[in-house]
Amino acid sequence: MKRVLEGSHAVAEAVRLANVQVVSAYPITPQTHIVEIISDYCAKGKMNAKFIPVESEHSCLAALVGAQSAGVRTFTATSSQGLALMHEILHWVSAARLPIVMVDVNRALGPGWNIWTDQTDSLSQRDTGWIQLYCEDGQEVLDTTLQAFRLAERVNLPVMVVLDAFFLSHTYEPVDVPEQKEVDRFLPSYSPRFNLDTRNPYTLSPLVTPAFYMEMRHDMALAMDEAMTCFAEIEEEYAALFNRRYGSVEAVTCDDAEIILVTSGTITSTTRLLLEELRAKGEKVGLLKMKMFRPFPVEAVCRALGRAKKVAVIDRNFSFGAGGVFAQEIKAALYKLPVRPTVFGYIAGLGGRDVTTDILEEIYIKTRETDLPSQESIWIGLQEVKYAN
Amino acid sequence: MNTPTMNLKPLFMPRTHETTEGNKTGSWRYLRPRYEDKTSPCSTACPAGEDIARIEMLSAQGFFKEAWETILRENPLPGVCGRVCFHPCEGVCNREGFDSSLAIHTIERHLADTAARNDLKPALEKLASQPQKIAIIGSGPAGLSASWFFTMLGYACDIYEALSEAGGILRWGIPEYRLPAPVLRTEIGRIESQGIRIFTGKHISESELNKLRGNYSTVFMGCGYSRSTPLGVSGETSESVKDGLEFLRSVRQGEKPSCQGLSAVIGGGNTAVDVARTVIRLGGKAAILYRRRRQDMPAFAEEIAMAMEEGVALHELLAPGAIEAQGDQYKLILRKMKIEGQDKDGRGRIVPDGDKTSEVTVERIFTATGADVAEPWYNPPSDKSGAITLSHCQIKFDKEGIPLVYGGDLTNVTKNVTQAIASGKQAAMAIDTYFQQGRDAIESRLASCRVGDGLSLSMEVYMQGARRLRSSHIVQPEEINTDYFQFEARVVQPRLLVEERTGSFNEIDMRISANLAIREASRCFNCGLCNQCDNCYIFCPDVAVIRGRNMEDRHINFDYCKGCGLCAAECPRNAVTLEREGL
Amino acid sequence: MIEIRFHGRGGQGTVVLTTLLAHGLFKAGYEVQSFPFFGVERRGAPVEAYLRLDKKKILARTNVTAPDHVVVQDQTLLNSIDVTKGLKPGGWILLNCSTPPSDMSRFGNNRVAIVDAGRIALKHKLGSRTSPIVNTAMMGAFARMMETPPMKDIIAAIREEVPSDPEANVAAAQEAYQEVVILGLITSEDKK
Repeated sequence: MKRVLEGSHAVAEAVRLANVQVVSAYPITPQTHIVEIISDYCAKGKMNAKFIPVESEHSCLAALVGAQSAGVRTFTATSSQGLALMHEILHWVSAARLPIVMVDVNRALGPGWNIWTDQTDSLSQRDTGWIQLYCEDGQEVLDTTLQAFRLAERVNLPVMVVLDAFFLSHTYEPVDVPEQKEVDRFLPSYSPRFNLDTRNPYTLSPLVTPAFYMEMRHDMALAMDEAMTCFAEIEEEYAALFNRRYGSVEAVTCDDAEIILVTSGTITSTTRLLLEELRAKGEKVGLLKMKMFRPFPVEAVCRALGRAKKVAVIDRNFSFGAGGVFAQEIKAALYKLPVRPTVFGYIAGLGGRDVTTDILEEIYIKTRETDLPSQESIWIGLQEVKYAN
Repeated sequence: MNTPTMNLKPLFMPRTHETTEGNKTGSWRYLRPRYEDKTSPCSTACPAGEDIARIEMLSAQGFFKEAWETILRENPLPGVCGRVCFHPCEGVCNREGFDSSLAIHTIERHLADTAARNDLKPALEKLASQPQKIAIIGSGPAGLSASWFFTMLGYACDIYEALSEAGGILRWGIPEYRLPAPVLRTEIGRIESQGIRIFTGKHISESELNKLRGNYSTVFMGCGYSRSTPLGVSGETSESVKDGLEFLRSVRQGEKPSCQGLSAVIGGGNTAVDVARTVIRLGGKAAILYRRRRQDMPAFAEEIAMAMEEGVALHELLAPGAIEAQGDQYKLILRKMKIEGQDKDGRGRIVPDGDKTSEVTVERIFTATGADVAEPWYNPPSDKSGAITLSHCQIKFDKEGIPLVYGGDLTNVTKNVTQAIASGKQAAMAIDTYFQQGRDAIESRLASCRVGDGLSLSMEVYMQGARRLRSSHIVQPEEINTDYFQFEARVVQPRLLVEERTGSFNEIDMRISANLAIREASRCFNCGLCNQCDNCYIFCPDVAVIRGRNMEDRHINFDYCKGCGLCAAECPRNAVTLEREGL
Repeated sequence: MIEIRFHGRGGQGTVVLTTLLAHGLFKAGYEVQSFPFFGVERRGAPVEAYLRLDKKKILARTNVTAPDHVVVQDQTLLNSIDVTKGLKPGGWILLNCSTPPSDMSRFGNNRVAIVDAGRIALKHKLGSRTSPIVNTAMMGAFARMMETPPMKDIIAAIREEVPSDPEANVAAAQEAYQEVVILGLITSEDKK
């Protein structure tokens, strides 16, 4: 049934439907609404789950390491500095092969305290061995969260579902909330591949010497590769039941496009609006929405962008000394092509600054009017600043 | 069943079914930890050898009865000692260098008072009855102590006391405001309940002593020093100079001698202070005249301070020279003294300051410069042939080999209540050893019961109690891991106000609550005593510490102990010893 | 697509008003999107929230800078805030006030509707005298002014989403629906 839900609420509904057994969380704006609702569900018995309040995000994820190792399905949500504080345990979870699902609400990192959206928090965790999926609207948030449990439990790697602060987390819109029975068909109750058991004792996460460490990491690499194909299968199953699919990437009018805008998160929606206008004017423009960031969908990216002349990657994030993270990854992906489009890297909307259709159009026109990018990263909408004496 | 997770690729992940049990890390060990209780400095300093670390541990846990019984194994008079012992234990407390020493005497008194209030009966070990009977002359602390320990060792004891009530100096020499009679009666009642008979009003003469020696297997002489020594100055008469101890005795017997006007008290010991403070309570004025300085006085510093608060005057460096009667009053001529160099005991050596004198006119003069036996034959004979001389007693044998033991003030170098208790204990041990193993065994047997390296003896060790395993190593401050302790202020002894004190003989020190006692006892480092804090268990990286149901069960699994020494390092109280592994 | 901006004070339920209206409009067949101004909430401080409605899926994921209409929950906000900022000409301004503002010129080339939502809220015992909860009354006035959503959808939205005393809130919405006063289009002629 379609209901008007907040993005945070869509996450909570998915977690309820997923029959999660242990939730641990430490509150941080803009993640708070998610865990408020879940803790309420746990308290009122709407979810048969244990909610563990903790004193920090580090402890939060550590608690889930224990719970998931004991053999239950777990969930947490965090944001920004909270995710940064989890960093050590992020590595632990993936190497311990624990299929934990987490939602990260993208929020800028401080100081320069800022509670608004910015992808640097999640993207700077790209090497931790977590699968990362970025969402565009409330419906996708709900669907992706459900799929995340299937994906995680299939390859035994953790999944991070990512959504923009406020533009998605705090926005109400109609979302189709599936019936529990239907969800159960897609996502049965958790059956762990290993769990702590006093009748069959073993050591988890022992010392791994150089003799085996590489093999262990290689197995994680294989699992990450497998996640790419599994995700497509899981999406097919989901579409068969619920008639919605998103793809690891979504290419919109890319086939004949000379210029393709590459986006992620809620900027994608606004870009769709612009795309309609530009196409109506006869511009040969396309849009590539990046949903999956880890594993990075190299093949799909090359397929979508290979024929274009120019690609404009819009990054709501920045890696200092390198550039926008999506731009870097897109460039690396395209390298294998014999003939490659020119990639323009744009930085926009950091710290929650609005990315309007006007800004997107400015990016498009800049790309169209220049042969080669003037800089590695082109910052859009910068104001003049006055430096203090 | 669970279709989505079927046909999964196997995982190669950090997980092993192999246990670490096969890795016997014990083979790496070159240092070996051992649970070894050690001796706390307080116990060594306590003349009665009380197991203070254990007493405080039990008190902190609220086991007041058990703590009290632990005292009684070494000292039959905790209610007395909690009040009047000058607590040398606190002077050596390892906590002193951390914040401040533990108020050991305050807890001791609390335990005794709690036992008295609840009419507790101690459950103490007692050896099988012996055929020998013991006679004890004098019911002061030495006699009471001897009877207590002789009884523990299985001997029947009779005490002969000259005065109307038992207690000796405790009953007749120490003022009520420091040691109320009901406290003493409770203690003596408990001693009697062990089967000891006390015959009061039964003065023993020298000829009667010989008769007793026929009826008993041993006689213990604990007659004490009950007479003040004379000043030895011109003009000294029984009229002009009163015996300080006699004065205190008369007051405790219920008399209220007139103390109007100014009384001079000659001396610097506790008796002098007691006399002066008693004079104040009887409405008089008192001046202590001392030939040395205040810091040289043998009296307890706190007693001196309280005396001065109560209005006692103190005049230093004045020695009595002569006394002249002036009507009803006396003129006391005093020689002025000065300090020149140092005596052997570290106090300033005094010499007359030329011919300088001063005078004071007083209503009466008390002497409290020292004490002596009431009858000369109480003293041990100067002929030591065939006698055994121990630190706290002397044993003389008659022709039949019947021992006569001199103890308490008669033989002690330092004469105070707790030393007297030590004397009674030593006598009981020595005589028991003599009866059981013969005279030659005495020295080594007593040496094996020493607490640490001092003169104190432990009856619990003598009786082969659990604490015999405690080593004689005295725990030093640097051996305490103070990371595990927090600064905490020492309990403040609640006292009567000065105005309340001077108007009556009510006890000055008030009781403390059980809560405060527990908090104070919790400050104890429990030097050298495992109190099952489990630090070794928590820190052992090889899970080689095996806990048991009690302290004795705790042990180390040497298959896995690799000798890293963390248990010893993290033991807050040095109850783990690390030794080199043998071949 | 229609975009509406809501002005209120922290604690007055302004964000809840926009979400309740989103629920009502969704029931009436609209695609909706509502969200607060993304800031730090403090009681009494001016707050803003937004509502978009359209007949097709709403793609815009940006702040609302040029609203079609404006709703003002507290008349005292007129003293400190330019509620007409970016307002498209001819747009509605729905104002909660007890008496019509004396100076209508500040509303420019816009239509104004007023309702005494505070009185209505207190009559139905919603909130306290110092802070009446006016948002459900404002819903009724909004429905009348916009001629959508139908009152049945407003009532259904209140009954589903308001946790405490929904019937009093329904009554307040209905009373405000009846009482709202349309002051009409204030033209530049009227200003003179």
